[in-house]
Amino acid sequence: MHHWLSQEITEVLEAAWTCAEQGTVTQERIAAEAKTIVTETLLDECERGGYLVRRNDEIRLTTLGRQTAEEIIRRHRLAERLVVDVLGMTLEESEADACEFEHLLARGVTDAICTLLGHPRFCPHQHQIPPGACCRQAQQQVPAVVSSVDRLDIGEQARVAYLSAPQFARLQKLSALGLAPGATVKLLQRYPSYVVQCDETQIALEEEIARDIYVWRAADKR
Amino acid sequence: MPTLTAEPARVPVTEITEKQPRLLLVGNPNVGKSVIFGYLTGKYVTVSNYPGTTVEVSRGKLRYGGRDWEVIDTPGVNALVPQSDDERVTRDLLLAVRPDVIVQVADAKNLRRTLLVTTQLAELGVPMVLVLNLMDEARGRGIEIDVAGLQELFGIPVVPTVAIDGEGLYTLFKTIHHAKVPRDPLAVIRARLLSSAEFARVPAQTSGQVLPQQLTLEWLQTREASLRSGVEHWLEAQAPDWPVPRSDARLRTLAARLEEARNLWLEQSVARFKKTAPSVLASAESKTFPLAFTALGLGLALFLYTELGRLFGWQTPYGWLNAHLESGVLPAAQSWLSGHHLGTLGTLLFGQLNPENHAYENGFLYPLLTQLLLLIAPVLVPLALCLRRSRSFAERLGHWSRDWRTGLPVLLAVLLLMYEFVGVIGAGTLVDALENNLFNGLLTPWLQAWVPHGLVYDFLLGKYGLISVGLTYALALVLPIVTTFFIAFGLLEDSGYLPRLAILADRLFRVMGLNGKAVLPMVLGLGCDTMATMTTRILSTPKERLIATLLLALGVPCSAQLGVILAISGSLSLGAVVTVFGVVFSQMLLIGFLSSLIIKGQRGDFIFELPPIRTPQLKNIWAKTHQRIWWYLREALPLFLLGTVLLFGLDWLRVPTPWGRLSGLDMIENALAPLVTGILHLPRQTAQVLILGFLRRDYGAAGLFQMVREGALNSVQIVTSLIVLTLFIPCVANFFMIIREQGMRKALLMLAFITPFAIAVGGIVGWLLRALHIHF
Ligand SMILES: [Zn+2]
Ligand SMILES: [Zn+2]
Ligand SMILES: [Zn+2]
Repeated sequence: MHHWLSQEITEVLEAAWTCAEQGTVTQERIAAEAKTIVTETLLDECERGGYLVRRNDEIRLTTLGRQTAEEIIRRHRLAERLVVDVLGMTLEESEADACEFEHLLARGVTDAICTLLGHPRFCPHQHQIPPGACCRQAQQQVPAVVSSVDRLDIGEQARVAYLSAPQFARLQKLSALGLAPGATVKLLQRYPSYVVQCDETQIALEEEIARDIYVWRAADKR
Repeated sequence: MPTLTAEPARVPVTEITEKQPRLLLVGNPNVGKSVIFGYLTGKYVTVSNYPGTTVEVSRGKLRYGGRDWEVIDTPGVNALVPQSDDERVTRDLLLAVRPDVIVQVADAKNLRRTLLVTTQLAELGVPMVLVLNLMDEARGRGIEIDVAGLQELFGIPVVPTVAIDGEGLYTLFKTIHHAKVPRDPLAVIRARLLSSAEFARVPAQTSGQVLPQQLTLEWLQTREASLRSGVEHWLEAQAPDWPVPRSDARLRTLAARLEEARNLWLEQSVARFKKTAPSVLASAESKTFPLAFTALGLGLALFLYTELGRLFGWQTPYGWLNAHLESGVLPAAQSWLSGHHLGTLGTLLFGQLNPENHAYENGFLYPLLTQLLLLIAPVLVPLALCLRRSRSFAERLGHWSRDWRTGLPVLLAVLLLMYEFVGVIGAGTLVDALENNLFNGLLTPWLQAWVPHGLVYDFLLGKYGLISVGLTYALALVLPIVTTFFIAFGLLEDSGYLPRLAILADRLFRVMGLNGKAVLPMVLGLGCDTMATMTTRILSTPKERLIATLLLALGVPCSAQLGVILAISGSLSLGAVVTVFGVVFSQMLLIGFLSSLIIKGQRGDFIFELPPIRTPQLKNIWAKTHQRIWWYLREALPLFLLGTVLLFGLDWLRVPTPWGRLSGLDMIENALAPLVTGILHLPRQTAQVLILGFLRRDYGAAGLFQMVREGALNSVQIVTSLIVLTLFIPCVANFFMIIREQGMRKALLMLAFITPFAIAVGGIVGWLLRALHIHF
């Protein structure tokens, strides 16, 4: 639906969503988030389109507005993941590119990219990526090509594709233990905490960290 | 996991100023560095803490080529980009000591991690030797390393060794002379990445020394300010014209790209230099293994049978043998010794016959040997043999101890063995022999016969005598318990079991805002809370350190106290013991949970390496235990003596009051009476126990034990006082350590919280028990 939306409206909805994640939505906060001037006319236009309602100072997304924004956000954040993980750029470099990408991705492509990336749950900024239909399906269905370590079967081997640890320190620690892109890991244990074998080293991890390690699973596992 | 240390900082490593060549040993944790260090340095070794940390650094002397070399053993590192205090110390040493030779000790089977460190060291431009240790383990796994290829790649000597067996060590010794500055295989890629115009300003050469460019960049990316500041200082001195970037996004990008390039290179190199032949795996089991394994099964069965027999009053082989010894062998040995005028020796060795139960009691040799040889050795000796004979058994044992289904039974077996060793042998046999036999039976009476009655007699040998109470408590009561505990702890530590215990405990500790790593200080706290408080530094965030310190102070009884509690619980029912431990444990959970909500900050990441299960080296255990006991004696003995003198003074002091002349102790008892008799419903003299408990918890517990033996308390009162004493304020030494680690303000806050809390919990439990008419 949003394919027909103007760039400005998309931007407003995207910003409103982000603001809503953090608290209340106001005109100033949207402007700050979208880094543009948000005029009354623009908001009027959004309101007429049924995307949002204004009450006093506060702005609220309607169901339609939420759905639309969710999809934009999802594409934006998946695009970020794609740029960072597959193209190997850093966030600083990707910021502009991801925003361009998002507007090019069609809906079918979004889910394909999501599947390829193993249905990531967070963007590189650690904001949540709204799950799509593919993510919900994937929970019961076949494992993806790329998946996180916590989804491996016990005893299954896989190659590390990338680490999405939010803290640099955690990243360094993992790679010093040998858990770096290219290394082979084998899941040994899930409970009470995760244990993986990497080379000849056994490493204990908590679940949250196991989710940060993305691996390529063997093709026959598909 | 980092090694635990007992010594406070004394000799800063940077103080070494003599002009002698220096050799630095660097490598991953658990690769046998200390064995190689021991080989190179012989016995001239000093161990001291690196300034401002609990990290141990060993230094020794090596005589080689007509010169004395200073050999420094650095703490194990996974990479030269520090993640912990340990790793920071190694980095500091590399920068500050300016070694003449670096010997990298590596685990041959983990080539990737080895090469990561090698490439980082190569950047420093110091002559190097690479030691591929644990070749036997690598061979056992069918791993073949292309040693010649590595040698050519880096242009440095590469020596394969099996350090524990001495294999290759002489070659290593001879090779030190041929150390070469390594070729840096990543230099080309790095130069290309760095030469892109925007990064040209990163200097490569500064005042005659090569600046490790990639490392410096990576060091500057470290988030932790304390880790980074060292590098910034060093940079200011080394490259004053280079502005130190604080958080430059482009530098971060560059660091990430460099790391990526290194990862790619590592991947290719591992594929090139490491070959695996999986067929060798199956044959890594020796033929005598089935025999050892059968022996282990029998030993365990015997052990469990004896333990259960003790609980249900069955006849056991152990009991049968003891009865046989006591009826036949011992009386014969005794009478033979007395015939040769060695009756006293006989009493010391075998104890005296108790006419009530016809058993020999309080001897050193007799119960100790039977307990060791008949109960513990049949489990531990075959276990050690199995571990040596079969690698796959060690691996399976490692698996069993970390999976919760098998881990809990394994934990139970470990606890039972520890109870047998620390609780029965340490707190029972050894304490009885030392206290009843040696001190109260021989030494004190002998002294009492010599010293004339009077003030000096009272001071040394009276009711609160320095020797009869202070020294006896410290040396006869506490020392054996602590010693056996430290031996057991050392064995657990070196066998690789503790990290697996951390996995089992992780979920539980998370409730308290900690993670599994906190198992280490908590278990060590069962030995000595003071020492454990110091080791909370291995936890990665301030929040965790604070919570762990609080919980240690609140609820973890140290081994001597635990020993006494167990001794007291001998006179209680199982229900009473369960109540005491249940209350203490639930309060720890509750307070841990609440404080994790209140205290701001983050829980640290739970990531660590699981070392393989190995047979501990007895030499190592001895060294550790020895060091810890000395530390303990220096901490504890003065306080025991001080406490005794204080009590003596209070007892001796007489003050005229409206109620007559009262001693200082009476006055304190009077002052605390509303608390002790009112809230806690305990006899007045329990106040003494609480005062002693502040000096040392174990001293207080010992005082309580005395009261229980005199029959001064009923079972509800015993339970109440045990709970109060366990939850009660930490001992003075622990309190000082809390001040040192957390600062005066937090320490006082803890004190202000714990004291009323302990009394309130004790009061409530006592009240509940009375209200419900539970008498156990
Ligand atoms: Zn966008
Ligand atoms: Zn993002
Ligand atoms: Zn998806």
